[in-house]
Amino acid sequence: MDRLLEAQPGSKVLLLGNEAIARGALEAGVAVATTYPGTPASEIGDALARVAKEAGIYFEYSVNEMVATEIAIGAAASGVRALVSMKHVGVNVASDALMTFAYTGTRGGFVLVTADDPSCHSSQNEQDNRYYALLGGIPLLEPASPQECYEMVKEAFGISEKLELPVIVRTTTRVSHVRGPVVVGKIVPGPKKKEFVKDPKRFVPVPAVARERHLVLLQKMKDAEGLAEASRFNRTDKVGSGGKVGVVTSSAAYNYAIDAAKSLEFDIDILKLGFSYPLPTRKISEFLKSHATVLVAEELEPVLEVAIRAVAQQKGLKTRILGKSNGLLPRAYEFDQSILMAALSSVIAGGNLAEGTGAKPLTDLPTRPPVLCAGCPHSATYFAVNKATNKKAIFASDIGCYTLGVSPPYNAADLLVCMGSSVGTAGGLAKVNDLPVIAFIGDSTFYHAGIPGLINAVHQRHKFLLMILDNRTTAMTGHQPHPGSEKGVPGQEVTTVPIEQVVQGCGVKWMKVVDPYDIKTTTETVKEALQQPGISVIIARRECALIAERNEKGAIVKKSYVDQDACKKCRTCVDRFQCPAISSIDKVRNIDEALCAGCGVCTQVCPHKAIKEAR
Amino acid sequence: MADIYLVGVGGQGIITASRIIGEAAIIAGKNVLLSETHGMAQRGGSVVCTARIGDMSSPLIPDGSADLLLSFELLETLRGLCKASRQTLVVASNERVVPLSISKQKLSYPTQDYVLTEARKVAKGCVIIDASKIAENVEAPMSSNVVMIGALAGTHVTDLEEKHFEKAIESVIQRMLEENLAAFRAGAKAVAEALTQ
Repeated sequence: MDRLLEAQPGSKVLLLGNEAIARGALEAGVAVATTYPGTPASEIGDALARVAKEAGIYFEYSVNEMVATEIAIGAAASGVRALVSMKHVGVNVASDALMTFAYTGTRGGFVLVTADDPSCHSSQNEQDNRYYALLGGIPLLEPASPQECYEMVKEAFGISEKLELPVIVRTTTRVSHVRGPVVVGKIVPGPKKKEFVKDPKRFVPVPAVARERHLVLLQKMKDAEGLAEASRFNRTDKVGSGGKVGVVTSSAAYNYAIDAAKSLEFDIDILKLGFSYPLPTRKISEFLKSHATVLVAEELEPVLEVAIRAVAQQKGLKTRILGKSNGLLPRAYEFDQSILMAALSSVIAGGNLAEGTGAKPLTDLPTRPPVLCAGCPHSATYFAVNKATNKKAIFASDIGCYTLGVSPPYNAADLLVCMGSSVGTAGGLAKVNDLPVIAFIGDSTFYHAGIPGLINAVHQRHKFLLMILDNRTTAMTGHQPHPGSEKGVPGQEVTTVPIEQVVQGCGVKWMKVVDPYDIKTTTETVKEALQQPGISVIIARRECALIAERNEKGAIVKKSYVDQDACKKCRTCVDRFQCPAISSIDKVRNIDEALCAGCGVCTQVCPHKAIKEAR
Repeated sequence: MADIYLVGVGGQGIITASRIIGEAAIIAGKNVLLSETHGMAQRGGSVVCTARIGDMSSPLIPDGSADLLLSFELLETLRGLCKASRQTLVVASNERVVPLSISKQKLSYPTQDYVLTEARKVAKGCVIIDASKIAENVEAPMSSNVVMIGALAGTHVTDLEEKHFEKAIESVIQRMLEENLAAFRAGAKAVAEALTQ
């Protein structure tokens, strides 16, 4: 049995924040769970995918966050409990559904988990998704630890059913990707089926209905505020003997605040907001009244700070409120204990925090950014495209491992905004540029958000080359399946939707499939595609090297080696190609046999045939 | 209380190693928090995990306050020194994963002596072991990360006992138990010997 299911009630288990979310949902009797994978949310879905069959729940990796949300809405509107999880930018995709679902409301508990990414560890921005709660009128819970992830998700279902509203649980990287002890309870399976009771005056928001439902939502927000006032997740912690200085905080910032206060031995009170929207205004104003100075400590946007100032103004309170607006805390990047130590020292001791004891970072170290793996088919594709175009093209890129092609030597990304954007931006680029435009999109990303862009490009007669980099999986987030996969999650039958049929169905007339490991054919095909009068599509298909390695374990792989006598020191293999297995140290090219995936691409890259396949 | 800063390169089994520390702490009845690197950063990039054992709420280790810098890769040891101070012991594997920047920018990979010198400048001590060789010697070539857990146990920086780690290895890895336990003990022995020299 999976350890997520195995853990007995009352036992303490070590869980990742994301696993704790999955356990909380299982204990709450979730019936339907959906996701589109994205760091730092992926392990929620991965954990549920692992146990779905055994736990008797329905789980799917949906085609994108919007569809994932809609599936959860369909189930929850019928009356069962549903969970949908995604990374922060996924909520942008889901938000169309979410904003109106707050109007119709739900019958069964509906919980959306958004995993935000302050400091952009694995993301294109660090947007603060608490604003979605404010924007939609959706209650918001913010766990700070794996234990709270578990407790809050479990309770979120109850809050959702009490209010008949969706509930957002918002984590950050340092909550989702923290592993800590969690005392679990009992898994109580919930109903898996409910008959949808028709009520179009509620669930079909034509304008007349929507106007009514907005008033209903506003009333529910008042009820929600009552729940927030009474919630055990909104509590005051005393550090030392407490005092006239208070901190209002939420999420991961709470952890840094309490550790900072303890290490400085300051006497302060901390109002920790776990149910942070709607704001418990009575609790806040009492806290303001009993403290002369209040520091608001929250990562990213001043959501609480602005709201707390409003409370002070409404109640006519003179409490000194400090935070981002007076520069004590930054608005960008994640916090750490040192940031809170500096801020608290400034508030309590008038600054002058002792210099840090850490060593000065060594600045001239060789860098080690993430790179495309040995044997990565994307690397071969980019080499071939550069060869075909001599880099005289504009590259519209997309979200996936292949975005790493932005770095030298490929420089294969010039414009990127979001999932699916390669196809749309390529159309705009092509309209106003003379250079050829090439869009790169991964297989999973193509299904996710690339298809409408392609239909538009065909219809509007845009001229560019779309290269679908099909490595048969959603690689970057941990190899989840997608609609082109032959297998779904364990125990589920799926129907494969081949990319070729989708592309042809969109009306594309020129489409070819290549194996990127064949550099010559790929290069020639790119050249041919760029001669086409309209849209052309190349599917560069080769299984992700990490999957291939796993599947072919034990098989004999023909590793490559450098024939030192034949090597002309031209540096093509390190300056125009990129493979972690190939190094050039003290002018000697070498291939690390342990790292070499045996793809044989480098043997085609070397212009002097000095790289050879081992016999 | 112990703060352990684990550094290395994606693919070296560092998350597994930090999980073993976490499970060992739970088995010993201690509070523990780990933070992990997932996602894109794992693609051959620098990877950092933290393990904090004791009464704290945040998983991140402030600069200069690690009790142990446990490095799985020689060059990454230098990057991890920002968390080191005179209270810190550095234990590093001499394994080299040469980053592409060395080839591309015609740089040289730091020598073991340089790493030792730089570490000793800031930390209270530094031990470098040949984790892969130690793993090979006990016929567990895939378990150099478990050797490093043994090395951690050998420092006695935490008050966790060998039996806690051994139970944790059993629960986290679940296969080739004998080989992994041998790797663990060999790592512990190597560091204990180095520290008494």
